[in-house]
Amino acid sequence: MAALIFVLLTAMLVAMWKGKDGLATILFLISLVAVALLFNHHITDSLGLSL
Amino acid sequence: MTALRTGIAQFCTLAVCGVLLGAFYEQFAGAVLPCPLCMLQRMAMVLCAAGPAWILALSLRRRVGPDDYARGYGASVLGAVLGAAVSARQVLLHIEPGDPGYGEAVLGLHLYTWAFVVFVVVLLVSGLHLMLAMPAKEERLPWQGASRVVVLVLLAITALNAVLVFALAGFHAYLPDDPTGYRLFEDLGWSTPSE
Repeated sequence: MAALIFVLLTAMLVAMWKGKDGLATILFLISLVAVALLFNHHITDSLGLSL
Repeated sequence: MTALRTGIAQFCTLAVCGVLLGAFYEQFAGAVLPCPLCMLQRMAMVLCAAGPAWILALSLRRRVGPDDYARGYGASVLGAVLGAAVSARQVLLHIEPGDPGYGEAVLGLHLYTWAFVVFVVVLLVSGLHLMLAMPAKEERLPWQGASRVVVLVLLAITALNAVLVFALAGFHAYLPDDPTGYRLFEDLGWSTPSE
């Protein structure tokens, strides 16, 4: 999962570099949500609440 | 003022790149493997640096205006809020008296405590920039060669992180809470699993 998020972040920076601002915005938001969900998993996993 | 805005964007991106390089140093020279929360903080730092890097990338193609600055530093604020939550969580995990913390301390503080400081500074710089240093109209930024290098450095560090975390996690969905080795090499049989 973590490697996938870093691939998303790399793709976002490549999109910025290539001038694809719409795609970069979408990838930024997807990465943000993915990091938040992974953080949520690590919090709830220790409590036995993670899916 | 245009030069100051360019300098701030370049410095902010490079400062976060420096922190990420420091984490690499700790990982390889200090032999402290990053835990899942450490990796989440690295991701949040890339999100923070992506804001000013976005402004610099835009400036390579056209003039940048107030909306571009707002988008860039708004992105940094979002990344910093998330990163501060993650690093505060890790600080709280090790807050009990006598707890040695995770990894080695650097200048008296553990890396996750420094990360919290960095995220708070990003929030302050982004907020102050949005309040006090916005341009009135579109402008062409100077030092485009340096901007190009700064964005490419961030891109290279992010791609390197993708490779490193894949080596750490191997073909498993999540990183172990307390990593002891590179699971990809263990999965492939290139090294023996460590306890």
